[in-house]
Amino acid sequence: MSAAEAISVIRVRNVLLVTMPGDPDDSTIAALQERALDAMSAEHVRGLVLDLSKVEILDSYFARTVAETAQMVGLMGGETIIAGMRPSVAITATELGVTLGRTRTVMTVDHALDLAGRELAKEKSRR
Amino acid sequence: MTLQIETQHGKRRENEHKLTPEASQELLQILVDNIKEYAILTLDPNGRVTTWTPAAERLEGYRAEEVIGKHFSIFYTKEDFEGGKCEQELEVAAREGRFEDEGWRVRKDGSRFWANVMITALRDSNGTLKGFGKVARDMTDRKQADERLRQQNRDVLEMATVPVVQVWEGILLVPLIGTLDSARTQQLMERLLQRLTETGSQVALVDITGVPTIDTQTAQHLIETIKAVRYIGADVVLTGVRPVIAQTLVHLGVDLSSATTRASLAGGLRVALDLLDLHVGAVVRDGRMLVQ
Amino acid sequence: MNIQDRGEVKIETEADIALARRAVREVAAKMGFGITETARIVTAVSELGRNVHKYAGSGVMRWCTLRNGENAGLELRFEDYGPGIDDVNEALREGYSTGGGLGMGLPGAKRLMDQLDIQSAPGHGTTVTVRKWRRL
Repeated sequence: MSAAEAISVIRVRNVLLVTMPGDPDDSTIAALQERALDAMSAEHVRGLVLDLSKVEILDSYFARTVAETAQMVGLMGGETIIAGMRPSVAITATELGVTLGRTRTVMTVDHALDLAGRELAKEKSRR
Repeated sequence: MTLQIETQHGKRRENEHKLTPEASQELLQILVDNIKEYAILTLDPNGRVTTWTPAAERLEGYRAEEVIGKHFSIFYTKEDFEGGKCEQELEVAAREGRFEDEGWRVRKDGSRFWANVMITALRDSNGTLKGFGKVARDMTDRKQADERLRQQNRDVLEMATVPVVQVWEGILLVPLIGTLDSARTQQLMERLLQRLTETGSQVALVDITGVPTIDTQTAQHLIETIKAVRYIGADVVLTGVRPVIAQTLVHLGVDLSSATTRASLAGGLRVALDLLDLHVGAVVRDGRMLVQ
Repeated sequence: MNIQDRGEVKIETEADIALARRAVREVAAKMGFGITETARIVTAVSELGRNVHKYAGSGVMRWCTLRNGENAGLELRFEDYGPGIDDVNEALREGYSTGGGLGMGLPGAKRLMDQLDIQSAPGHGTTVTVRKWRRL
């Protein structure tokens, strides 16, 4: 697997930022789930920000993996935010009829981090 | 090209200015060799290349020694060759005297170009077929320009049928007029999502005041459009939902409950501004928005 | 523009699905399909290629360019010698699924492409042919 087609997983403030490559193969997509969950349990993050801005294709397998991952993240007490989906991907995903499960969608990673930050602030004020 | 023979002393002098056969032959050869835009070549009655010119070499990529004696079908695409196009062209040229065509041709390196081609039957004074003359012109540029024009026309048409207007910073308005079939929905989704991404707008007001009737299909198309917009991180407020539309939707059992809908455009705009965390009493002064 | 008329990608492993996608993406782009149209085509390839791998283990995807007057089209054929489909009509209906997943991808592919043709019978493998025409 070339470096260009690999996932990047980094922790940014209170979330895990996972950046997907343009056309990941099945093993890369499977790795998304594994690495996201590993990192979530190890790093005490509030949630997952999935950066899809480079992604050109979202088929049913990719969509199902995202939905499952979001569900697992939810069970572990976190939230999943999807950022930067391209118009062509959004349209084909709609026409294909997939679901991305319990996820929120925002336009950019910036928006996602702001949103996660606001959520954290809300939570803190409640305590 | 006509050779103008100027005489100052009348007909008696005409013959003095006529070229010898050799000279005129040479002149014609120079002409043919120097025309850059048209590839001129000749074929024998069976379609094999007999003469070649620099322009032909430039167009097709073959040098004279590589191509003389070869059958002219090497210039054609595989589909055309298998379809018998070459024989057809020679047949028509032989019968009618000429054959003209526009189509794809193939160069030596395998690349394609769009050519305008004329094949002329060459007969001697007895009428015997001695071969064919072929003149080809590379029209790829023109074809590309035509296609660009067609794409521009399509874009203009698309803009006219799916108008998307920015009404506020972060808010786009799509006043839909007429019915929404599958083709138009595709255009709507593509155009709206593109504009949302380009402008960084987060709300699209889709106004259906101009949509006369709403059936299950149209409602489905609207639901799909809303889904796609949400996927990119924006949202839709459906406005112009008049009483009769609301009635039809409920009777059809269409579930638009996940969408935000309003009866009037004004109502929709208020929702949009709320979504953007702006207050309706906002004032713009000196180009800056002051929130009250 | 150098357009190759036809080609094929063997689908034997999971990784071949991605290869098939890449091959078709290149062809579609060369043929002048727009971004969204290309996305539709490549997504359909992914769905149908995955079917071949999932239900038959192995098979092949063959593609070729079509010409209809001034219209250009792309045809993709997915062939396998797997178990075949019992009820083709049922498989084409939205929501049908035997694999416990989101369905066989056939309704999705049909939606994304202009034409879909399917030949299949139990014990005789499956051939799914799809076409997409360039809007001119």
